[in-house]
Amino acid sequence: MTDTPQTRIFADYMDGESARLIRVSLRVEGKAATGALWLELPDGKTPVRWALGELRRVPDQAEANSIMLRRAGDDPARLKVSDHDMATYLASICPNISRRDKTPSLWRRLTILTSAAVASVALIVFVLVPVLADQLALILPTKGEQALGDATYQQIRQALGKDANTAAWECNNPAGIAALNKMMTRLQVGSNLPYNIRLHVLDHKMVNAFALPGGHIVLFRGLLKDAKNPEEVAGVIGHEMGHVESRDPTRLALRSAGSIGVLGLMFGDFAGGAAVLFLTEQLISAQYSQGAEARADVYSQNLLAATALPSAPMGDFFLRLKSKYGDTTGLASHMASHPDLKGRADKARAADTVGDTFVPVLNAREWRDLQAVCK
Amino acid sequence: MENHTLKTDYAGKRGALFKLAIKTSLLTVLTLGIYRFWMKTRLRRFYWSAIRPGGIPLEYTGTGVEKLMGFLIAVVFLSFYIGIVNLLLVFVSFSLINSNLAAYALSFVGLIPIYFYAQYRARRYVLARTRWRTMRFGIEAAAWPYAWRAMLHWLATILTLGLLLPRQIFWLEKFRIDRTWFGDQKFTQEGRWTQLLPIAIHMYIGIGLTIAATAGLWISPASASLFLLSVPWLFFGFVHFQIQSFRFLARQKRLGANIRFVAEPRTWRVIRIYIFGGLLIWLSVLAVLVGLGLIVGLVVSRVGPEVFSSQNLQGMFADGTASKPLVVAASIIAYFAFFIFSGVLVQIFITMPKLAHYARTLRVLNTAELALIRQRPRDEMSSAEGFAEALDIGAAI
Repeated sequence: MTDTPQTRIFADYMDGESARLIRVSLRVEGKAATGALWLELPDGKTPVRWALGELRRVPDQAEANSIMLRRAGDDPARLKVSDHDMATYLASICPNISRRDKTPSLWRRLTILTSAAVASVALIVFVLVPVLADQLALILPTKGEQALGDATYQQIRQALGKDANTAAWECNNPAGIAALNKMMTRLQVGSNLPYNIRLHVLDHKMVNAFALPGGHIVLFRGLLKDAKNPEEVAGVIGHEMGHVESRDPTRLALRSAGSIGVLGLMFGDFAGGAAVLFLTEQLISAQYSQGAEARADVYSQNLLAATALPSAPMGDFFLRLKSKYGDTTGLASHMASHPDLKGRADKARAADTVGDTFVPVLNAREWRDLQAVCK
Repeated sequence: MENHTLKTDYAGKRGALFKLAIKTSLLTVLTLGIYRFWMKTRLRRFYWSAIRPGGIPLEYTGTGVEKLMGFLIAVVFLSFYIGIVNLLLVFVSFSLINSNLAAYALSFVGLIPIYFYAQYRARRYVLARTRWRTMRFGIEAAAWPYAWRAMLHWLATILTLGLLLPRQIFWLEKFRIDRTWFGDQKFTQEGRWTQLLPIAIHMYIGIGLTIAATAGLWISPASASLFLLSVPWLFFGFVHFQIQSFRFLARQKRLGANIRFVAEPRTWRVIRIYIFGGLLIWLSVLAVLVGLGLIVGLVVSRVGPEVFSSQNLQGMFADGTASKPLVVAASIIAYFAFFIFSGVLVQIFITMPKLAHYARTLRVLNTAELALIRQRPRDEMSSAEGFAEALDIGAAI
């Protein structure tokens, strides 16, 4: 029995073993899963039988009138049927013509590979780079550390500016700077840093302070405004000096240098702007470990004690910030990466060896000047 | 017996390609970019099947999954390189010269060999997944030898201000072609690089004029007007050289003992495709923008302009009628829609006509031996063209 149209239909058969092009005549036997397409070879050779159930159409072909057929699985043989009626007819009687080959282990392999890829990238970004950065931060020469700090400070000023071309304004009112220097001179006596601290005030409303590699400490105008007295500011500076002393910002900057490129790779933004913004964000919010924060607190308390200043105001300041802004913005988030802010404030009070009688770090007029340093 | 010359025809239609490109691009956006591996695969299947030497289409047998897996593998390697090596470079650079310039420079230089490596690997993957008359193409694994040769040739070309470009083009092509197979038969690139020199003449004139104009700036600013002549000449010369060297090198290729090729793409035809294609793309984008403008205008005139007054819009933000994330999402979608739409237009107005021209001007000679060619084994290549994908090399198809 045959359902093939009466005239003989020819097609181009390629057997997958050689580049020969074989003109075959087609004969359809039966229908659907049980039927077969017989390819009658020239020169009386044994015809080739393709079961209708295993016939597949090669997809996304440019030419609409013909059909390119293959068998399910890996068989490279192909049959090009250019007769439009025959092509349509075959497409209508082959039950699985549009089915794709199933590779059973494929999704499993893909899942494994995806997990492996995610795990390795995570390992690189969250373990290898940080561990390496921590080691390198300890052996980076002082000069190199300062250069790294200079570069990052410029980057951050640039990023905080009003637009891409203006850097954030560095406040420089002479009276205010003089007050700041006076405070710094007193604090520096108690420190043992290999370089001078370079203090900057940036004209930005964020209530924040952070340290950068090589002894840069940046205060924002918002912080000076929210502080009640100069001793609170001294406490914050002392805390940041603690970070500088243990090279926390250097670690962070080196870590970012490693992870920025990887992020760029992921998001197709090679060495692009987004990566730099990310670096800035990292350094400003400065999420150090609990241990690092605790060490910076202790450093600050010791420094204040050594310079005969009370550490209780620093604790008050933290608590006030927390109640005013919550844990998530600016200084509060930086300070609050240790969740127990209350406990830290208590420790600051307990460490206070000076009490209420001390020579203020700034007198009332100098304090006003400092708060007006951006004017 | 077969014909002794096979002409190539091109069967692709703009409409079919447009549908396929739009559909796959939309899927790419909806899947946040993951479908792009399948998109490229399907577009390749289409383009390959449109090219038909002797009426039999090429077939592309790569798969999207393969490409995705290759990409994942490459990302792991590259994140290691970029993460650890960049960190070390930054460290060394700050330690030794107190600046990160050296780190940036070295990091870039370090990527150059990987770029050429990726390029060769991508070619190997594509050839391994290309078949004609059911025979597989293939190229031997030689990505690193290729990468360092390519770097040296580029260095020579740059140091000689482009004079040695013909030499570079010839030797790199010979390196690739002499390792390329069709079934069990090998290709050979014949000829000498100096034979490319006459083709390079316009490029050399362009280079000469540009150098003269640049040098002239020291004497008189008026010589800047020479750029008006030299830059178009340089551009034409470069395009001409590219196309005509392809033509020349095709004639000097041999498959097996004596199967040969003739390729006759024409410089002005290709330039015309770019100019008219570019024009059509801009017109289409303009038409869409005007259409959108009309729709917005119509909506505004229907509901009345006061609905879109700034107070009302602010009010909508304030009372949550129009939430900010919604507006942000809409802008992101509009942004991607623009790129997708223009990407699709590039496919149908430039990539396809150019490919069609190259295909239609290609002939295969002395084809009697084709029947003797036997199959070659499959080249598994599990990392596919992942490196090229991760570094975004060869973005078109």
